[in-house]
Amino acid sequence: MRLPEPVLTTHVNEPFSYTLENYLKWGGYAAMKKALAMTPGQIIDEVKASGLRGRGGAGFPTGMKWSFVPKDIPKPKYLCVNADESEPGTFKDHVLMERNPHLLFEGCVIACRSIGAKTAYIYIRGEFYHVQKQMEAELQKAYAAGYLGRNICGTGEDCDIHIHRGAGAYEAGEESALLESLEGKRAQPRLRPPFPAVVGLYGSPTIINNVETICNVPPIIERGAAWFQGIGPEKNQGPKLFCVSGHVKRPGVFETSMDVTLRELIYDFCGGIRDGHELKAIIPGGSSTNVLTPASLDAQASFDGLVKAGSMLGSAAMMVMDETTDMVWLAENLTHFYKHESCGKCTPCREGSDWMHKILQKILRGEGAMKDLDLLLSIANNIGGKTLCPFGDAEIAPVVSTLQHFRAEYEHYIREGRSLVPRADWMPRTLVPAHAH
Amino acid sequence: MSTVTFTIDGRELTVPKGTTVLQAAIQNGIKIPYYCYHPGLGVDGNCRVCLVKVEKMPKLQVSCSVVAGDGMIVHTSTPEVLAARAGVFEFLLINHPLDCPVCDKGGECPLQDFSYAFGPKDSRMEFERRTFDGDGVKADVDFGPTLMLNRNRCIMCTRCARFMREIDGDPQIGVINRGYHSEIGTSRDEGVHSLLSGNLMDVCPVGAITTRDYRFKSRPWDNPNAVDTVCTLCEKGCNTTLWIKAKQEWAKGAQLIRTTPRLNPEVNGYWMCDLGRFGYHWVEGDQRLSQPLINQQPRPWTDALALAGEKLRSAGRDGLRFLVSAHASHEEMFLLGRIAQELLGDAAPQAISVSWTSSAKDQPADTKFRIPEVNAPNVAGARALGLVGAEAAPDLSALKALVESGRLKAVFVLDPGPAGNLGDLSWLAAARQSGTLTFLAVQGVVATDLSRAADVVLPGSAWPEKHAAFTNMTGQCQTTNTAIVPPGEARDDWQILSDLAIAMQVPLGYESLRQVRDAIVATVPDSPAFARLAELEYLKPQKASTWLESSNASERVKWDAMFLDLPPFKFERMFEAAPRANVIPLKPVP
Repeated sequence: MRLPEPVLTTHVNEPFSYTLENYLKWGGYAAMKKALAMTPGQIIDEVKASGLRGRGGAGFPTGMKWSFVPKDIPKPKYLCVNADESEPGTFKDHVLMERNPHLLFEGCVIACRSIGAKTAYIYIRGEFYHVQKQMEAELQKAYAAGYLGRNICGTGEDCDIHIHRGAGAYEAGEESALLESLEGKRAQPRLRPPFPAVVGLYGSPTIINNVETICNVPPIIERGAAWFQGIGPEKNQGPKLFCVSGHVKRPGVFETSMDVTLRELIYDFCGGIRDGHELKAIIPGGSSTNVLTPASLDAQASFDGLVKAGSMLGSAAMMVMDETTDMVWLAENLTHFYKHESCGKCTPCREGSDWMHKILQKILRGEGAMKDLDLLLSIANNIGGKTLCPFGDAEIAPVVSTLQHFRAEYEHYIREGRSLVPRADWMPRTLVPAHAH
Repeated sequence: MSTVTFTIDGRELTVPKGTTVLQAAIQNGIKIPYYCYHPGLGVDGNCRVCLVKVEKMPKLQVSCSVVAGDGMIVHTSTPEVLAARAGVFEFLLINHPLDCPVCDKGGECPLQDFSYAFGPKDSRMEFERRTFDGDGVKADVDFGPTLMLNRNRCIMCTRCARFMREIDGDPQIGVINRGYHSEIGTSRDEGVHSLLSGNLMDVCPVGAITTRDYRFKSRPWDNPNAVDTVCTLCEKGCNTTLWIKAKQEWAKGAQLIRTTPRLNPEVNGYWMCDLGRFGYHWVEGDQRLSQPLINQQPRPWTDALALAGEKLRSAGRDGLRFLVSAHASHEEMFLLGRIAQELLGDAAPQAISVSWTSSAKDQPADTKFRIPEVNAPNVAGARALGLVGAEAAPDLSALKALVESGRLKAVFVLDPGPAGNLGDLSWLAAARQSGTLTFLAVQGVVATDLSRAADVVLPGSAWPEKHAAFTNMTGQCQTTNTAIVPPGEARDDWQILSDLAIAMQVPLGYESLRQVRDAIVATVPDSPAFARLAELEYLKPQKASTWLESSNASERVKWDAMFLDLPPFKFERMFEAAPRANVIPLKPVP
């Protein structure tokens, strides 16, 4: 069933939707009270039954993740909320934290109870300064009202939430690098196993969930797993936020269920491509997912549907491009981002990102050769699957998929020394930017 | 201990539970390259060259972090693995300066060797290489008082950073900047200030970290001989390897070229301290005693021994005292004890004093490699022989009072250690110079104020010049081995003592070091300090064939198993006669 009305973003367009007063008025913290009367096992079973999959990108079943936390070890357990939201094109968690922070707090308390944690950390992207300030204020109100801290609502349950601002690294959004950063170290990924559910923050069992994942927990508890199961296609249930940007008439965050197709998202939700232009390419799930062509418009925008189409749902950050987009430039631009953000810990990513970027710059300068295209694919192949964390797979996606779908544009650059696409008004004056680093 | 059985490349291996695939492969001579892994450090998994295929796992796995499980099937050389590995090697080399001809690591460099063995034929990199501090000599920057750093050569394995964090206990080294611009650095570029800094050159798999002591001094093929020995500069007794530079007899300069630690899990692990590593220069220094002296004039051994023997013998029961350094070996202490017994009978125990120095070493509180305070290798041996009690510090006050009372006729000092190892002995030199003491004989290795005041000087051997057994602070009985010959007419100390005994007309009758060691065990049969004494082997410098095998045990297997086409063969071939060139007859010019 298509989601009939928004669940996570019901009131986000109303003034002061972020305040505790309004949240309570709209029935907030009822799910938490219900969950505090349940046993941790019951909560996990409910979430498992709902089929909720992680909204951060990988789509791992949340209830199963929670059940990996060992019950019988004396160490404290932690919940970390990944609010780093650093995937280019993604702005869904921002909306939730800015306009519905108490939903996140409520979800944190429920998740903490289910895994036996007394402390939750919200690792928020450093740039979300104003969001964090507002969240801190709301957090204090929730503490004062007894929804957080010691003896929540007189049930004897304790839960503290700390909001930690990151210092600005894409890699800090990777769950183990996030833990390193939270511990005060460089945001570099850890070797797994052991997985964070067993050895995580400060060596203790830790669950790391995306903001949107946690925000889905209170509705599940409140309305039941069966309700959640009824929304959207099988194995891809529940409300989902899509952030659509690019050459559409009405970009923004849209909440719907995952039975929606790319065509519906672009033409129904966003009003179609801007006037006088036509669709050329779609990045369906943030910059680290493969580019799709209009041929995939009828693909279901779900975890499984987009894998079938040859890409990934990722963070559901859909970037839509019309025919004025130079796909070689796109690949260069995104590769520059990945080169800049590579943490440098493992060899293929550290050395390969820069090498690919240099080759793409060379092609953009009109100095490329046909063999460079095979070289790009070979380098990408040497990075993909060989790195310490999924960053390596992410950084090759733009290169490999644009080469797959738009090889003619690369070849035009190489043969003619210039773009196949007429210079668009929004593109930079020089194709090879003098990057600061 | 429970074990697991699994398969690598069709070979069934049984290893203790918890062993990683890489460790199992190394132990069994299966070729898997690695950089960031070091057996003495924690697993980091960043270099990605130890990729292997594990069946039932979708992606290639880094073997350093995969714990072997029962029934696991591992492949190290499927086309997929070979290609992936070659890809990583290509990445490692695209920004490496490839200045191997001027790099200190060249010839013993894992990056060179593994790249030859596992890397691609060519590089497809056509862009300018990354540089940090500049090209060429500019790239070498100070890295603290003992080290130099070349960031361009670095492959970011972070072994150095992890060594400082995990072993030294003071994480002075970190990675600065990010991604492609990552570099090894220290806070405010202050460099590494640690007593364990020399280990960083050992752990560095490329020529990025070099010690100032060794850099530019020699190349691996210039050191064709090495000998496994132990360090004697403190009571820890680290197992080491001394490297001997090939040198013409007439050529100037030292033969001992460097010291590297050698694995002994019970003593020093993989490491050693800088005091031992860099503290060998005095052995071939210009302060060495190389000729017997009488009144500071060179004289033949027979004269010096005869004079010393006669004077010491005639000093009588109350007029003779012995002062022994705790740098003396079991054999030397035992022989001296026998001499004292023969001359003085039951008064002997009171006639021998043992001395050493102690100093606190500045190390982080939670270091994993603690350097002991006692700067002598054989205090435990002296205790086991009954020459000194359980006191923590030597007490020479009674001897000093006796010397200064003028009642002593002769003092014999046995000191095969570096200058100053007996503590302050200015009172003894002063007593001889003022005539309070009438005869002073010194058997030692370096010229000191004391030897300059002595009537007779007998030049002995320093520890790299002899087989000498010591018992360290934990009771391990170990031996040094001869690396080089003593300078000039200097002789092995046990032989000097044997000859001195003959000159005193109390011949002891030992004809070999083995007999001395057997006598020690017979005299002190149950002492744990000498338990292994009779088993100790006499090692000689080994030829190029065992060459890097003797450096670091973690690399030893590598040289045994992996580079059969490289050393030792490439070096042995070097010493063969060059093949005769075909003589092409000159064509007559038309």
